[in-house]
Amino acid sequence: MTETQKLFKNGQIASEKSPTLRQADVLVNEKGSISAVESYIETKPEMDVIDCSRKILVPGLFDMHVHLREPGREDKETIETGTEAAINGGVTGLLAMPNTTPPIDSGGMVRFVLTLAKERARIPVMTSGCITHNRQGKELAEIADMKEKGVVMITDDGSPVANSYLFRRALEYARNFDLIVASHCETMELSADGAMHEGKVSYQLGIPGIPACSEEISIERDLSLAHYTKARIHIQHVSTARGMEIIRRFKEEGVHVTAEVTPHHLLFSEEDIGDYNTAFKMNPPLRTKVDNQQLLEGLKEGIFDIIATDHAPHTTFEKNLDFSSAPFGITGLETALLSLYTYLVKPGKTNWNLFVKTYSAEPRRILGLPSVEIKPTHPAEFIVFDPDVTTIINKAFMRSKSVNTPFLGKELMGRVEKVIYKNEILLDRLQK
Amino acid sequence: MTKQDPEKKKRRKDLLDIDSISVEEIDFLVKTAQPFKELFTRSVKKVPTLRGKSVLNLFYEPSTRTRTSFEIAAKRLSADVTNFSVSQSSVVKGESILDTIDTLQSMKVDYMIVRHSESGVPNFIAQNTHASVINAGDGYHAHPTQAILDTYTLKEVFPDLTRKKILIVGDILHSRVARSVSTCCRKLGIEIGVLGPGTLIPDSRPDYMECFKDYATAFAWNPDVIYLLRLQRERQQAYFFPSMREYHNLFGITSNRFETVKSEGIYIMHPGPVNRGVELIDEVMTYERCLINQQVENGIATRMAILYWLQPGENKIRKPNTEIRGKS
Repeated sequence: MTETQKLFKNGQIASEKSPTLRQADVLVNEKGSISAVESYIETKPEMDVIDCSRKILVPGLFDMHVHLREPGREDKETIETGTEAAINGGVTGLLAMPNTTPPIDSGGMVRFVLTLAKERARIPVMTSGCITHNRQGKELAEIADMKEKGVVMITDDGSPVANSYLFRRALEYARNFDLIVASHCETMELSADGAMHEGKVSYQLGIPGIPACSEEISIERDLSLAHYTKARIHIQHVSTARGMEIIRRFKEEGVHVTAEVTPHHLLFSEEDIGDYNTAFKMNPPLRTKVDNQQLLEGLKEGIFDIIATDHAPHTTFEKNLDFSSAPFGITGLETALLSLYTYLVKPGKTNWNLFVKTYSAEPRRILGLPSVEIKPTHPAEFIVFDPDVTTIINKAFMRSKSVNTPFLGKELMGRVEKVIYKNEILLDRLQK
Repeated sequence: MTKQDPEKKKRRKDLLDIDSISVEEIDFLVKTAQPFKELFTRSVKKVPTLRGKSVLNLFYEPSTRTRTSFEIAAKRLSADVTNFSVSQSSVVKGESILDTIDTLQSMKVDYMIVRHSESGVPNFIAQNTHASVINAGDGYHAHPTQAILDTYTLKEVFPDLTRKKILIVGDILHSRVARSVSTCCRKLGIEIGVLGPGTLIPDSRPDYMECFKDYATAFAWNPDVIYLLRLQRERQQAYFFPSMREYHNLFGITSNRFETVKSEGIYIMHPGPVNRGVELIDEVMTYERCLINQQVENGIATRMAILYWLQPGENKIRKPNTEIRGKS
């Protein structure tokens, strides 16, 4: 964009390595690399100076669980709107899920999506591919071809591979290609027509429940198979404390497993559904307040490697159906940083380092991407975050095509003021 | 809201479930139902209370009895009644609810009586219309008018309900009647026992429900009333119990159990319609302490009281389908 050096003056740098913020000046060169991070850098005339006093510089976030909906449901989201939503939330890289229509289950589809992304997205988009052909859980998809075209993970996300025999073969087959097999853990027969967590609240609302064991049995199965096949596995969107304990056990045994937790499973419980509010309907469902607390402990202890949002846009029309008929899922890209800052970092329940580790550094390590830690020689890829102002989450704020978030109409603390990506400023809220 | 009518304070726009109403309100409805019932013995059963008002029966699930009960109740209050039956197959499940409501809104309906197979639909409709919404049964969630008419029926038998014992038998899991009746009984200080196949007694039930394994232990608890739930034959029953025969043998009022019922003087209730030979044997229907027909009669009086009590809201125009619903 500009061919000048940029000096980010007096910012507080967040890093996964330190629970406290470090005050420093950051110099970014013309090519978009960080050339210096010092407690004081002298301003020179050729530098564009950006005052960051009282602001926090956060490494660009990476979301490993995003539904971009393109192709097929462009009425909900497109690669362009989804990635713009990401930028709006401070996310500078993401991994798309393959449950599009048609699904991303072949080399051709992978190429198509990645080509579109190159044309239309201002941030890197990676994609996953399906484990099974057409996500039907019947036969393997052409995994090697997808890998060659750029897939970094395979998953049938949205549904589990119900057939244990086939899932075993998928794990074995994927080993050769160094691909992560990611699993949406659910036992469909137990979930049946459930629409929320099975418990006191579902009884009271008369909504068929999804028992916690539907997920836990599936986690246990998948990890047993990963243990047996010595494959690398990733457990998506864990919602129950018992499920987390299963992961802990297998981790201690040395199984190569990583796991993710979503902001909503940390922040909300079944009780938030209230009067059948479909903005709180997602799969896996919101569990109990005890689960919220224990999942947060698990994040701190490292049972969960990453935070990912499971950004799942749906139309207002669909979300306005009755609770049982409305689709599962909420958006997350634009609210993850703000909501976790508001409810966890600001009240002191976690520090910035945990957030940076799990929502910026670790996802990149898992996928073998270069680090975006704010330090010399690294590419400049960070957010200027203003903790002193608030953001109102409304249609005008959002870049996503869909507004199905429980934060709609709410005010969250903090603001993503700027998003720096190499030598570009992707977002600058101070310049209208 | 203006203050000129002291009773207006008690009024609310909708009746959606029992959880949200108070004991005073339940008492008020039961007391109000009384004079309406007395009306039935006269040759002219009509009063002009709701003259000029329109009541719409919006039934997404087939029902003859409840719909007729509401229809008679509304007509006896001199309201104009329209039946709007929407067959589930004609709409993609739930899809056109808002569109339907917008249409009905334009017709300036004052009261909507809603039955739907999915829980929460009446709540959703209530949020989107100025009309008073009465839940006539939604999914597994609630059937508040049934609970109030049952309370009225119980009051006729027991002037003081505190510490009376009611044994609810059958499919608690899938029953909106069980949810509303037990919540209502709980509010009134009645003790609640439940009996049924392990598959149909949810573990997530409220703690106040005493759970019995069989009639022997349940009878030993000395219930005053046995409330039999209707067994839904259409459900995938094979997962829940093996056969009607076995269900009847374990949980029906058989002739042996009927002897105990009679000797203990236990009252029998059932929301109807009865599956003879499943929940009970024929003879129970003519037992003097069988309250089933009384429940039906009280249903009309209670629903009149409810219609009289509710207060339709302001006629606000809602922009159709532009905003996501919710509190924010």
